[in-house]
Amino acid sequence: MSAKSTDKGTNYETVRIMGSLDRSIEEADRLLAADKTDVLLDFSACTFITVDGLEWLEELLLRAESKKHSVIFESIPPTVYKVFKVSHIAPILRACGGPTLPNGPVC
Amino acid sequence: MSSTVKDKDTALDERVEHLVRQARLAAAVFTQYSQKQVDAIVKAMTIAAIENAAVLAQAAHLETRMGCTEDKILKNYVASEFLYAQIKDKKTVGVIREFPEDNMVEISEPMGVILALAPVTNPTSTVIFKSIACAKTRNCAIFSPHLMAANASNQTAKILYDAALAAGAPKGFLGWTEKSPRLRKETERMMVHPEVDLIWATGGTNMVRAAYSSGKPALGVGSGNTPVYVHKSANISSATIDIIISKTFDNGTECPSEQTLVIDREIAQPMLAEFKRLGCHVCTTEETAKIADAVIDPKTGGMNYKMVGQPANFIAEQAGVQVAPRTKMILCQLEGDLRTHKLAVEKLMPVLGFVIVDSVQAGLNRALDINYAGGTGHTAGIFSQDEDVIEQFSLAINAGRVIVNCPTSIGGLGGVYNNLTTTLSFGCGTGGGNITSDNVSIKNLMNYKRVPRRKNQTMTFQTTKNIYINPGSIDHLRDLETRNAIIITSRSAARRGHLAMVMERMPADCRVDVFSDIGVEPDFQEVQKAAAAMRASQPDTIVALGGGSVLDAAKAIRLFYDYPELNQKDLAVNFLDFRHRIFEFPKTQKTQLVCIPTTSGTGSEVTPFAVVTDSEKNRKVSLVDEVLLPNVAIIDANLTRSLPAEITRDTAFDALTHALEALVSTYSSDYTDGLALEAMRLIFEALPEVLKKPNEVVWRHKLHNAACLAGMAIGNASVGLNHAMAHSIGAYFDIPHGRANSALLLTTVDYNSRVPNKFISVANYPIWIADKKYARAARFLGLVDKNAGPEGSPEEVEAAVAALKKAILELGLSTGQPLSIAELGVPLDKFQEAIPTLAVMSFEDMALKTNPCYPPGEDIVNLLISSYPPRVPVAQ
Ligand SMILES: [Fe+2]
Repeated sequence: MSAKSTDKGTNYETVRIMGSLDRSIEEADRLLAADKTDVLLDFSACTFITVDGLEWLEELLLRAESKKHSVIFESIPPTVYKVFKVSHIAPILRACGGPTLPNGPVC
Repeated sequence: MSSTVKDKDTALDERVEHLVRQARLAAAVFTQYSQKQVDAIVKAMTIAAIENAAVLAQAAHLETRMGCTEDKILKNYVASEFLYAQIKDKKTVGVIREFPEDNMVEISEPMGVILALAPVTNPTSTVIFKSIACAKTRNCAIFSPHLMAANASNQTAKILYDAALAAGAPKGFLGWTEKSPRLRKETERMMVHPEVDLIWATGGTNMVRAAYSSGKPALGVGSGNTPVYVHKSANISSATIDIIISKTFDNGTECPSEQTLVIDREIAQPMLAEFKRLGCHVCTTEETAKIADAVIDPKTGGMNYKMVGQPANFIAEQAGVQVAPRTKMILCQLEGDLRTHKLAVEKLMPVLGFVIVDSVQAGLNRALDINYAGGTGHTAGIFSQDEDVIEQFSLAINAGRVIVNCPTSIGGLGGVYNNLTTTLSFGCGTGGGNITSDNVSIKNLMNYKRVPRRKNQTMTFQTTKNIYINPGSIDHLRDLETRNAIIITSRSAARRGHLAMVMERMPADCRVDVFSDIGVEPDFQEVQKAAAAMRASQPDTIVALGGGSVLDAAKAIRLFYDYPELNQKDLAVNFLDFRHRIFEFPKTQKTQLVCIPTTSGTGSEVTPFAVVTDSEKNRKVSLVDEVLLPNVAIIDANLTRSLPAEITRDTAFDALTHALEALVSTYSSDYTDGLALEAMRLIFEALPEVLKKPNEVVWRHKLHNAACLAGMAIGNASVGLNHAMAHSIGAYFDIPHGRANSALLLTTVDYNSRVPNKFISVANYPIWIADKKYARAARFLGLVDKNAGPEGSPEEVEAAVAALKKAILELGLSTGQPLSIAELGVPLDKFQEAIPTLAVMSFEDMALKTNPCYPPGEDIVNLLISSYPPRVPVAQ
């Protein structure tokens, strides 16, 4: 975990996802629960993502939204990014920096 | 009450959303799986299906009261074990196929979320089959079972899902709609749900129709009505048993099963007797009427669903027909017009129609009657030992599977009796309203990403085999291997004494004929006339003596002499790339062709081209093929000694244009570049000298060589824009070819050296380098100033191109060669009038195809206009 400043000057705490994302990451949950900072999830070392992992991400994003915090994703490998694309989950695609799908279906 | 309905709707919507979301997430996660992971899941599911085959068959029979458990067990095995055997080694992840010859690979992409329907007739086997096929292709399935079989179908789905999950499948990759009165509605909602990618409909016509009308991609099935022709050559005993096995399989619920037999009269009685002996009941006319009343629904004209999959005895009892206990099957003769017979439809029960025929023709036609009575695209069968009859039947019948000498039901499933793809989903093509006539399986459940690599163009270099090149080389004629030759030439060759020179040197024992009627622009009629004249004397060799037109004519004459059946219209069909040309030239020539050029221009003696005039259409036709290459070329400058200055200049400028165009052609190569550069050097050096000292054979010799070298270059790299426009101007204003070329040369070099307005789309020309190649020519000719900048730098290239243009201008001015259209003597008003026509003619000219850029029509017009004004010397 480390503090990082993004292009927009916002301060984020970075959480690095290692290997397979198949359950919740306590550290990210804790940071959000502390209600003090925004969170940057670094996917550069993420090798695989499961349905549970996807569901946790979506839920994390919804929690952040209700607390008016932001969670952003960075350094996403294409295989993981493709999972996000196929999943059609709008908050996840937003966290990747993309717009909500304008016409496409949203789960 | 209304709120209750609303509540139910909300609950239904929630269920649908949940199912679809689960499948969607699983589909996303599935994209990451490797082939190894997928194969492990497939294996685990197959084992689970095999272990539960009997339990599930029993459950299906208990719930539906259709068919029979033993056969349902077999179907469960087919859907698991047999399917597995076929697909286990198939690649479905990543690169699944390679096409090394086409430089292309195929990569799979899953389809995503599949709504899979399961029918009442095969509630467990269909679910086994579809879930394993989906796992193998990394798709997720939501099953929508038939209401009357939902428990059995869902039990199957759950068993396979648990096994898959344990083997590592993504959570939620299989789902199913629970048995409820609102099952149908739930299915309809999912059919139009945006998160469903494909509907895989196997079931009743209504469900398939609903799937298609959802607007989603759908794999459907059509209804069947299988005709089976039993030809007199069939083995009666085995055919009878096969038919009984097939038609009674699961009490006839299999849709590819036999519906009506068409039996040759010669074997009808023995076969019916065999059916009876083996426990089938053959009905009388009255009994047939009773059976028809019982099994056909009078309202729809289709089968009575209460009888589907019921045993023969039950059906007979319902119909009031007395049959023996444990009767296997009921056979009904369909008398009268088959096309209107009540029983000539699909009957998914052990009731089989039959007709007796007197010929193969009648057999095929009656089979077609059944085939086209609701079964097109589905299945047909034939029993015959006569391959010819089997082929005739297969050609006539419209069926996705024509089963030969096998039971059609189990045969149609594939894998048991034959090597058809194992399936429980029978594509029926357009005949059944489907997109495919396949036995639908994993192949149909993948998106295929084709990854073609750029074509690897192989290039060749070809030219005339024997080229004799010094002054006096005409003496080589003495050694020609010929007993009977014809000299093809023009009248001027005779006048200039060339004909006599050749005649003197022909081998002593050789008969020699002369055809000296070749005009300035030979047309197909002249060519055919010469070929016809040759047929009388049957020469083995043609000696072509003259300028480019004579040599071109001789190439065409040889072609028509060797191959009189060739059609000139076919030969003249235009093409973009000669490798794809529609017309195929003969591979070899029988007659030897010796070319002796008397001008130093076209290089025709070493090219595979022949330009012949098509007088009927008032156009020139370019024949292009390596078979046109002469066998021998004699480059003897003595024959050019008497060439007038004007023709010497014109033809030399033609050769210069060849060199310049071949150099920048999209088909140029290291081989042609060398030839083009040296040809240019020789022309720049020799032409002024020849004009000064026309009788000095040394310079004539250099010029003659230059033309031949440039000929070899264009023979392989072809020409370009300059020739395209020169052909049109030459034809329109009747201007000699070399002169028409020189009038355009400065304009086209200038144009081709600029960044193109439109790049040319040719695979073998990946980088536009025309400017650099002109610069190379300028350097080779020693035209570039040392101070022009570092070699290859933009400024140096620009200076080099400018120097080349200047050198061409100076060569033209110093030799008196026209370098503009005005200098050709074309009046301005006539020229302006001609521009639209000239532009179209140029645009359609084949020479344009190898130009280094693709000039749009507008550019051609501008090029023509800027080629008009007379050239003046550039200020030093
Ligand atoms: Fe030419």
